[in-house]
Amino acid sequence: MSKKLKFLVGESLKRKVKTKWFLVANILILIVILCLFNIDSIIKIFGGDFDENQIIYVNDQSNITYENLKNQNENYTKLLDDSEEVFELKKTTKSSDQIFEDKKNKDAWYLMIISDAQNVIKAKLISNGYINSYDFAQINNIINSAKQSIALSLSNIDPAELAQISASVDIERVVLDETKKGEEESTQMIMSTVFPFIILPFFILSLFLVQMVGAEVNDEKTTRGMEIIISSVSPKVHFFSKVIASNLFVLIQGALLVVFVVLGLISRMLIGGTSITDIPSAAGVDISGMINSILSSDIVNDLIYIIPLVIVLMLITFLAYSLLAGILASMTTNIEDFQQLQTPIMIISLIGYYLAIMAGVFEGSLFIKILAFFPFISAILAPSLLVLGQIGIFEFIIAIAIMVIIVFLLIKFGLKIYKVGILNYSSKNLWKKMFKALRG
Amino acid sequence: MLKVENITKYYDDFLAVDHLSFEVKPGEIFGLLGVNGAGKTTTFRMIIGLLEPTSGKVTLDGQKIDYSVTDNIGFLTEERSLLTKLTVKEQALYYGVLKGMTKEKILERLDELLEKFGISNYKDKKIKELSKGNQQKIQFITAILNKPKLLILDEPFSGLDPFNVEMFKKQITEMAKEGSMIIFSSHRMEHVELFCKKLVILKNGHDVLSGNLADIKKEYRKKNIMIKGDVDLEKIKKIPGVISVLKNGLEYEVKIDALDRAKDVFKAISKNDITKFSVEEPSLNEIFIAKVGETYE
Repeated sequence: MSKKLKFLVGESLKRKVKTKWFLVANILILIVILCLFNIDSIIKIFGGDFDENQIIYVNDQSNITYENLKNQNENYTKLLDDSEEVFELKKTTKSSDQIFEDKKNKDAWYLMIISDAQNVIKAKLISNGYINSYDFAQINNIINSAKQSIALSLSNIDPAELAQISASVDIERVVLDETKKGEEESTQMIMSTVFPFIILPFFILSLFLVQMVGAEVNDEKTTRGMEIIISSVSPKVHFFSKVIASNLFVLIQGALLVVFVVLGLISRMLIGGTSITDIPSAAGVDISGMINSILSSDIVNDLIYIIPLVIVLMLITFLAYSLLAGILASMTTNIEDFQQLQTPIMIISLIGYYLAIMAGVFEGSLFIKILAFFPFISAILAPSLLVLGQIGIFEFIIAIAIMVIIVFLLIKFGLKIYKVGILNYSSKNLWKKMFKALRG
Repeated sequence: MLKVENITKYYDDFLAVDHLSFEVKPGEIFGLLGVNGAGKTTTFRMIIGLLEPTSGKVTLDGQKIDYSVTDNIGFLTEERSLLTKLTVKEQALYYGVLKGMTKEKILERLDELLEKFGISNYKDKKIKELSKGNQQKIQFITAILNKPKLLILDEPFSGLDPFNVEMFKKQITEMAKEGSMIIFSSHRMEHVELFCKKLVILKNGHDVLSGNLADIKKEYRKKNIMIKGDVDLEKIKKIPGVISVLKNGLEYEVKIDALDRAKDVFKAISKNDITKFSVEEPSLNEIFIAKVGETYE
């Protein structure tokens, strides 16, 4: 690396890192990550409690349902793990108004059961606020199970026969595709939900990268400092200095995010004395359940090769993004023009991001598989499909190879455009000039 | 020595510079003049190696100008090429290192020049906070930071008050005395006349006038006669060869189409009460207007 290139990279990096916004943004990110990892402790500070059971006051006017309901709830509770919300049933003869008069019961539910000639029992569930669909589905199951049990016992069926009817069906699962393990079915579904959140930082960093390169090149162009710079160093050195500096910045920012996550884990252990696998379920999403099932599945073993491959693809894509941003920035004369030019590329990436989220839903879609090889989208989509088992390592390596070719082409042809573009201050016949530059 | 040999530059079908040649020796200040769009910036860009000529070549001390020699060149652009978000010191370090200087040398030279231009207290100020004139000083200081062998000054006096113009002139003359080759472009013809012994006037990329300023003026047929005293204007206007007669304060300026006409004018007014009769060379501005057909704006 030449002395001037080293200097330009250092200066460019210094201008990005030694800014107030970099410091402020990272402090905010750290605070957000720490809060997310300790969300249950924070909620407890403000009076909330994740461990509290959901109290349900049951006014059983049918006089035959409560005990059955209690049995069904106990059976249901046994199926839950420690992190899931448990229903605690309390028998009452009070009216709902009387129950909710007591401020302690503001979060409780009130379930009124009455006899019904046609449907055995009828239920009315009253609450102060909304009940999430997951909890409602559970209480609905419990009530229905109780009702079936009552109905069967009222039909004078032989107890042995009743037990036979009530017993659940034993279903044997057979998956014909040898590459797919049945026990990993839930893990794959979980990963299809989780992975887009993991790659969100990549998506944000790539946006960041493009903006940074564009802003810096345009700043030097609009101030005409570019003429002095290019009279001292070649456009090639200048171009690579911007690309290297912005990629180093993204690596630094990425490393900081990893450090913040580690700090989040440590803070969780220090504050709550619990690990990441003990995060309670929230809004119906069983986080610790997800983590436990991922950790116990074979996918952990696969991560040994998945992670390095994904990192390689992401780094090459970052490189391609920065090269493209530099080329586009050289063609424009101000940051507004640059924003317009880079918008289609960012939209394509955004489509990739949404496709990655939907990849689990549209399993086996040939269209999505083809897009996984598409440059710039591949870094987002291919890892998702790899984790979901929709593409294999071979296909993933092809996606990497395509990105390497794109990087090579961007350097080969982009440099020609950059050399002409950075000293061009007119948007007149811009594309003509660029195509002419490409022809050399 | 800077040698510009027969350079031509085409942008597609547009001819920007047409077979231009000149030489600048160490210690010389050379004027490159022309109206906007005449080809000055393209010529400057070819000299510092930013643009490759379509044909012809530019050499500095016999060597083609590329990035191995650009450390010896200083360039002041017409439009301010300042990194306004940086401080004066940061920008000097940035441009200085790119010119191959060490940080210690840059700071030493910067202190010396800031002191010389009376702006030492602006060293740690952001450039965008400075006035137009002070920004121009910083631009000039940055261009001469590396004590360049070849200094290109495109409109160096833009935005400067007369006091600062004098300061710049002094520095430019000093550098020429130290052996720098200086190429100079200015809208102010009196500055060009004062500085440049040699010049080229460009029009639509063509060299319409070039050579030593003294020779150019001498060879220029039209002369001016400055007269002070009692003059019959109408009589002078009727003399063949007299182009115009203008009253300029207490004096009359009589433009004639050739030196021979001076004796006819003198004969016509010799019996009047005259205290001054002087035949003078035309100003560069007049020559420029005559050659280019428009004023240098």
